[in-house]
Amino acid sequence: MNLAKLKSGETGKITAIGAIGPLKRRLMDMGILIGEVIRVVKVAPLGDPIEVKIKNYSLSLRKKEAEGIAVEVMG
Amino acid sequence: MNWQTNLKETVSEEGGRGVLRPVEKRTVTIAVAGNPNSGKSTLINAIAGMRLQVGNWAGVTVEKKEAQFESQGRKIRLVDLPGTYSLSPYTQEEIIARDYLVHERPDLIVNVVDATNLERNLYLTVQLMELGIPVVMALNIYDEAEAKGYRIDIRGIEETLGITVIPTSATRKTGLEELLRGIVETADNPAWRVPRHINYGEDVETAAEMVAGAVHDRHPGLAAKFPGRWLALKLMEGDRHVREETGLGEHDIPGEALHHLRRAHGEDVEAVMADVRYSLAAGLTREVLERPELRKAELTEKIDRVVLNRFLGIPIFLAAMWIMFKLTFDLSKPYADWIGDMIAGPFKHWAASLVKFVHGPDWTVSLVTDGIIAGVGNVLVFVPVIFAMMFFITFLEGSGYMARAAFVMDRAMHAIGLHGKSFIPMLLGFGCNVPAIYATRTLENPRDKALTALLIPLMSCGARLPVYVVFIGAFFPTHAGTVLWSLYVMGIVLAIFMGIIFKRTLFRGEAPMFIMELPPYRMPSLRSLTIHTWEKGKHFLIKAGTYILAVSVLVWFLLNLPWGVENKKDSYLGKVGQASAPILGPLGFGKWEAGSSLIAGLIAKEIVVGTMGEIYVKKGEEKKKEAPSFTDDLKEVGSSFVKATKASFANVFATAGITSISTAEDSDKAAERAPLKEVLKTQFTPLAAYAFIVFVLLYMPCVIASVAMVQEFGTWKWYGIAFAYQMVLAWGMAALVYQGGRLLGLGG
Repeated sequence: MNLAKLKSGETGKITAIGAIGPLKRRLMDMGILIGEVIRVVKVAPLGDPIEVKIKNYSLSLRKKEAEGIAVEVMG
Repeated sequence: MNWQTNLKETVSEEGGRGVLRPVEKRTVTIAVAGNPNSGKSTLINAIAGMRLQVGNWAGVTVEKKEAQFESQGRKIRLVDLPGTYSLSPYTQEEIIARDYLVHERPDLIVNVVDATNLERNLYLTVQLMELGIPVVMALNIYDEAEAKGYRIDIRGIEETLGITVIPTSATRKTGLEELLRGIVETADNPAWRVPRHINYGEDVETAAEMVAGAVHDRHPGLAAKFPGRWLALKLMEGDRHVREETGLGEHDIPGEALHHLRRAHGEDVEAVMADVRYSLAAGLTREVLERPELRKAELTEKIDRVVLNRFLGIPIFLAAMWIMFKLTFDLSKPYADWIGDMIAGPFKHWAASLVKFVHGPDWTVSLVTDGIIAGVGNVLVFVPVIFAMMFFITFLEGSGYMARAAFVMDRAMHAIGLHGKSFIPMLLGFGCNVPAIYATRTLENPRDKALTALLIPLMSCGARLPVYVVFIGAFFPTHAGTVLWSLYVMGIVLAIFMGIIFKRTLFRGEAPMFIMELPPYRMPSLRSLTIHTWEKGKHFLIKAGTYILAVSVLVWFLLNLPWGVENKKDSYLGKVGQASAPILGPLGFGKWEAGSSLIAGLIAKEIVVGTMGEIYVKKGEEKKKEAPSFTDDLKEVGSSFVKATKASFANVFATAGITSISTAEDSDKAAERAPLKEVLKTQFTPLAAYAFIVFVLLYMPCVIASVAMVQEFGTWKWYGIAFAYQMVLAWGMAALVYQGGRLLGLGG
């Protein structure tokens, strides 16, 4: 399961970050770390990007970027 | 340089009088660092206000703000670092911030922290503390945090980190005095204000010590240049920027240093380090922050439920854009017209009288009035629209809506290789390409920014409209709407086409990432908006103004020399026009008149019409008006300004349409252009006329847009590319229209 597949309102726990290099570092700098709880808040009107809530703030990222973030659905 | 010894000297000198007065005027250099959206700009505006100087960091398009002022008898130099979330080696902003901190070694860092978003902000604080420079934390947006029911243990942060923490609210201007006092106090006692060495855990600390030791022994030169612990941590992370700079690599790190760390925590040391720093930030946040248990839905969430709604999101976005566009251009247009009229009227009269008074020959009168004064006018007419644009862009950014606009539009813009934020500059392009190019500064990534700027000239700006209107009036009066729309649509279609081409050629490779914070909505303070707008507008006036003036004078020479030519054909401009005629031949308008008008149109594309009027229609018909008296002129300046203000308000409230883009020509102008239209009908075929307006749509950007492009990017590269592709595109499309049309039997 990855973050891009979560529906709005669903919450997951990050289990792995597949990205490498600058993208991985950027994700980590924004608080996307293994073990962190992440919730999908919204999908943009045109279907991409998505809005997530992490570390108590709102972040948006493209689905392609979210695909590399493996999550475990928490319901 | 030691501050304390100096103080002692001061004391001994003045000791007799028994006063301790620091007369020493050492400048304290302060770097201000913080996350984007932490209210850093507002805080700096509140402290430094109009003393801020805006420029660019050397060699890049990232804005640099600086201010010098005095506080408590000290000279303070404030340097605003770009807003960053981290100090990674991957973005321009982060590299600028860390290079400044490492190489310029400011006396202290003011770290602006968003109190409502403590954990992520502390992640940067932890990294700043690695540098060993004294840190003062401005715990900003503190009022909002309190209103949310947050309770923050300020003493707790101070004790854990060993730094001074001052709660502030930039918008309410609270805590600013205390912050300045904290800054000076820390600057006076740097020795005991160095932030506490925070323990990153035994594994990291042992490894860091080993690496620092090895660097110290083998490369004493580097050890002196860089903070030791910081350098060691960066080398362990495999920081590519530091590696390039120092020439150190994997082999300079003792093998056993990382061995244990990797075995215990995983292969990716960069990830391990991010984890360690975030754990510290999270731990500290847990300790010092008390949040109310029950969380009510926040205002931002409520607004976003509507603004980012699946069905309403796009209509709301388009409505917001329409309002912004209308306000930017309709509000500023009457003022631009007023400035234009004043320059062309009273100022020219006064300048002419002055030159005649000192017995300047005729040509100097013309040079001063038509060259220099007109050139100044060319700069000044842009002031209202640049200021209006800067104001609204700053508002969109400061309020938090800019990020939402990007969120809503990204899917569509990404398809042609652009970023969601590219939409706004592109849209502004329909009003005027010049502010649109400046608006690209809202894009962070240099690639996104350059690509957006390259495509903006294809958005048909307001200055091209008068050309279309005259030609459409002369040749296609019955299909005016369709023909006009075809031009706008052609520009957009070609922008999509060129976007895809550029994406696959010039900008091949991975598209920059989108990962963007959606900050809470906040009302930007009027003071902050005004200061921002003023600073940026001033920057335009000074930087772009000089170039535009120079080019205007150059064009004057082209138009008027050799002095006293009877026939425009014999002026230098006419000669260039003659030379260009064969190139324009295949497009259906291979005449020197067309060529000369197009060249004159580089000042602003609408000048094509004026020049054609001058060339084709006999000059004798121009009415000679009695020169108005000085006092009449003066009255005119005042009364027409009042008129402009009225028109500006009327534009905003009275009309639903966009006045600055309207096909309706006022009857005065239409009558004025009637003779020109008659002549044009004898000079162009309808097909050639259409090819001509297509050429006007696409050919190289006007001088002012060019200056904007060169100045905003600090290089000629992007302008060169825009120039080249637009010339090819203009020629190709016009040829396609004309030759294709002839093949289809639409007449020659």
